[in-house]
Amino acid sequence: MQFIIAFLLSIVLMAADHYGQILGSLRSVLLTTLTPIERAATFPQQIYNLITTDFSSINTLERENQQLKTEMLLLKAKQQQVINLELQVQRLESLLGTTGKITNQNVQIATVTFYSSNPLSQFLTLNKGNLDNVKKQQTVIDSQGIMGQIIQTTPTTSRVLLITDPEHQIPVRVQRTGQRGILSGTGHDNTQLGFIPVNSAIREGDILESSGLGGIFPAGYPVAIITQIETQGDNPYFRITATPIAKLNQSHKVLIINQQEDENWNNDFDFDLDFNLKSQKDASSKGKEP
Amino acid sequence: MTESFVNIRSSQVRWLILLTYLLGLIIDSMVLLNSSLQILPPMTLLAVLYWSGHFLDRTYFIGAFSLGVLTDALYQTTLGAHALLYCVILFMMIRNRLQFRTYPSWQQAFIIGLYLLIYQALNTLFFNPVLDDGTFVPYWSMPAAGILIWPVLSGILNKLTQNTP
Repeated sequence: MQFIIAFLLSIVLMAADHYGQILGSLRSVLLTTLTPIERAATFPQQIYNLITTDFSSINTLERENQQLKTEMLLLKAKQQQVINLELQVQRLESLLGTTGKITNQNVQIATVTFYSSNPLSQFLTLNKGNLDNVKKQQTVIDSQGIMGQIIQTTPTTSRVLLITDPEHQIPVRVQRTGQRGILSGTGHDNTQLGFIPVNSAIREGDILESSGLGGIFPAGYPVAIITQIETQGDNPYFRITATPIAKLNQSHKVLIINQQEDENWNNDFDFDLDFNLKSQKDASSKGKEP
Repeated sequence: MTESFVNIRSSQVRWLILLTYLLGLIIDSMVLLNSSLQILPPMTLLAVLYWSGHFLDRTYFIGAFSLGVLTDALYQTTLGAHALLYCVILFMMIRNRLQFRTYPSWQQAFIIGLYLLIYQALNTLFFNPVLDDGTFVPYWSMPAAGILIWPVLSGILNKLTQNTP
């Protein structure tokens, strides 16, 4: 009798979870319960990292420091170019009389606390949740490109479905030609680009960036690089394999993007890119004034 | 499975049972972190099978269902799917548990290996996991690893259960 009840309950639960969104809060409760267990599971790895870090030589740290300083210098130089480009775009837009505007985006820094490299699912757990204003469907990026989107949140953590997960899809365009397509995860650190006709001018090495269609992912972020293009008999579409640009298995610090301006988005660790750009722009324009 | 604790009731080792469930969940979480650990069987399932085979006063379906739902949340799979698998495997175990108790440890291990093979086949049917060259062998070797782990696991739990006051 107990088996029949458990069996039926499981089927009802599966149907409710698959066909409706009513179990989102239940999953959130379960994930909250699992948070300390996930932390306990990463404990041996943390100890290992701590020990290996303690034994790393001063030379390595100095080299790493030097590398970071160089990288920061390059990024600052690029940021100056971005400010100039933004001003140019605004000037051109005013000449054309269009109302286009570079999207303002707030970002929030988060740390990866848990991850899954299982054949069933590929996700990350971040140390920011509802209490930090993290919401479902927010995009997560690293220094290289898009990693995935938030699919579940608890008060203190959130779960990110990686772009390589077989259930994940993202609208993209080829950076070089503007050709649009849908990038689907295939598992094991690879993705597949669909709906690209065989007469398209696409080649290996092309970079795919988010197209912004659908309104979930912001446009213009690099997503993947094409590594293999195959034709399949009479199939009118290519079979295209692409490797994610973001370091899905290596990134420790990531950025959660919020496309909409939110007044409550206040956190000590928040970094408002737009504010930073504006303040630098103001400073530079003041300096140019006679 | 020894006769020395036939008279012990499951309520006397309630905390031990909960502790094995907790440790099982932690080990299952560790498997997610490292693809080379996929050879390990689901420890929560092994724990439920152990307790259901040792104590006849309970069926452990509530435990199997709860652990299955937690595993679903952990693996980001459809809620209830692992719960269903756990309940089906537990049902098979309960149908034969009287006979199972009489077997020596090595023989039990092979039966557990068979249950794990069925579990893995159902797992493939339900979730269609993406298996490449690096994960195919560990994935299907899991029942064999379960055969090796069972005598150790049951030995430790037998010892702990016997020492319960």
